[in-house]
Amino acid sequence: MSRTVTIEPVTRIEGHARITLQLGDAGEVEDAKFHLTQFRGFEKFCEGRPYREMPALTARTCGICPVSHVLASNKACDHLLSVSIPPTGEKLRRIINLAQLTQSHALSFFHLSSPDLLLGWDSDPVSRNIFGVMRQDPALAKDGIRLRQIGQTIIETLGGKKIHPTWVVPGGVSEPLTQEKRDAMLKLMPEGLEIAKRTYAFFKTLVPKFKDEANHFGSQPTMFLSLVSPKGHLEHYDGFLRLKDAQGRILEDMVPPHEYERLIGEAVEDFSYMKFPYYKPHGYPNGIYRVGPLARLNNVDACGTPYADVALAEFHMLQESGPIASSFHYHYARLVEIIYALEMMDRLLKDPTILDARVRARARSNRYEGIGVAEAPRGILMHHYRIDDEGLVTWVNLIIATGHNNLAMNQSIRQVADAYVDGNNLQEGMLNRVEAVIRCFDPCLSCASHAFGEMPLAIELKDASGRVVDTLRRG
Amino acid sequence: MDQARLEDLKVLIIGYGSPIRGDDAIGPLVADRLQAEGVPAGVEVVSRHILTAELVADLVEHDRVIFLDAAVDGTPGEVRCRSLGPDASAMSTMAHFLDPRELLAWCETLYDKVPETFLVSACGSAFDYSNYVLTPTAEAAIEPMLDWVRRLIDPSTPIPTGLLQSASSRETDTPVPLQTP
Repeated sequence: MSRTVTIEPVTRIEGHARITLQLGDAGEVEDAKFHLTQFRGFEKFCEGRPYREMPALTARTCGICPVSHVLASNKACDHLLSVSIPPTGEKLRRIINLAQLTQSHALSFFHLSSPDLLLGWDSDPVSRNIFGVMRQDPALAKDGIRLRQIGQTIIETLGGKKIHPTWVVPGGVSEPLTQEKRDAMLKLMPEGLEIAKRTYAFFKTLVPKFKDEANHFGSQPTMFLSLVSPKGHLEHYDGFLRLKDAQGRILEDMVPPHEYERLIGEAVEDFSYMKFPYYKPHGYPNGIYRVGPLARLNNVDACGTPYADVALAEFHMLQESGPIASSFHYHYARLVEIIYALEMMDRLLKDPTILDARVRARARSNRYEGIGVAEAPRGILMHHYRIDDEGLVTWVNLIIATGHNNLAMNQSIRQVADAYVDGNNLQEGMLNRVEAVIRCFDPCLSCASHAFGEMPLAIELKDASGRVVDTLRRG
Repeated sequence: MDQARLEDLKVLIIGYGSPIRGDDAIGPLVADRLQAEGVPAGVEVVSRHILTAELVADLVEHDRVIFLDAAVDGTPGEVRCRSLGPDASAMSTMAHFLDPRELLAWCETLYDKVPETFLVSACGSAFDYSNYVLTPTAEAAIEPMLDWVRRLIDPSTPIPTGLLQSASSRETDTPVPLQTP
């Protein structure tokens, strides 16, 4: 007798989604799907708008990573203008991007994932939330708030606003940095780095406890896609595309981001509003790859900052050889990247040219097509626009980090469901693990589509006739 | 609260909402108006697209917090003011938008301190994307919202508690329409 288990909505992620597990006669998992259930349509309603509005419009896709959209969009506009932005303008853009990475990764680790990591997958779901974490480890919770505050303060100091800054503009940034602001931001760095190092050290003590989860949380072989610097170092703002296979062999390297269409195809499925990007040479769905912190650390030769490079070496020790396969280790990679971001921001703020007044190149549109690519906290983000003679947008394609991971997320929930879900004895902890593997990817469904309002959580086990045979509810 | 205490009051005003979704922008717009007209010493005004976790660190530094928001339940243009208290059950399933009562619960749980908090809201009627203007009814609600805020930050005018609706528990999620000042 075939049955379907539905987890809706998936909690502690950005946006709304549903997971369905199809069970066979013996209660075994036959299929698993991750559904993005809302449609937003940014690619469509941006058509007809002046291209200079695109950074502000596309930034509204998300309240967590608007800076990423602002950067990718402005880079697409830079491309339309055919300008190279002044070096100081680029460095300032890098700082705001790293500040966002810090606050976003902090949210993912401290707010969304720490309830599972600290309180346990099978703990009482009533208290397995941020309030449970606050009661269990208030210092950790305060560290999370402070780290986010540091990231957001830097975004506000540079961009004027915490959530949707307008300081990044086509051609660079609108204002140079003042010494007063530079000094204020520099003062935050030591405290931020101490919190990041303290949290990293704490998490390392937790990792051995999760050996079983690490083995089953999306450890399937996939390729990894990210930007790398010309030296092969960690890169979040510019650089080139690198793609490694599951064995660590480099399949594509130093590919200019403007050539992304040569590498990436996009498929659609009828069960989700999220696209399914894939590596074209391997076809769909075999061209499965992952992006984000795990992919970035797997792809680079070095981070390029002292503490982060030590942490990177420890990251590679999580597995005997090859790229780190388990998606559970996205958490680890995120903490390494927070350390890197704080070290790199400190370095950039101390750069003697950071107060230079030349921060913007000015031009009108000089081409009809622009592509902007940057690393968002969750992975590589691509904005691609076409415009007409009037500068009005005629076509938009956005490939969001969460979309790149779509195939991998679907495969991961299948793997976790196979390992933990017993259809004959449905337990909340089993289903929490299915949700938790999605949280490893820290998907931003608000970016990938849109959500408005909240839905109650109901998990129902139905028989083939649609009769509900078991139900679990939260909230 | 005695007069001396009121004069030392540290007040934080947070207007929040999306500037590209029509009437949802009323909170930040009222905050911007307050900022432009000037506020007394000890009063800080900020605008936010959404409420996020790190705001907790700002909340606990203030004695009184006033949230400004758009509402969807009620008659368009209707202005309401209510007191808010911590409510851990007001948790969002998403992390990029928090309920003000959840933020207050964070304050209580982590810092054992909760500022006196009010929510001044105006009911909107149009929340479409790519819409940068308020409807006329929402526009007309700006001045009544400002009146409420001026009263709440004026040390010489004790808070008119008789006019306020408490909303510290889930039972009062739907605020009662109130008389404007």
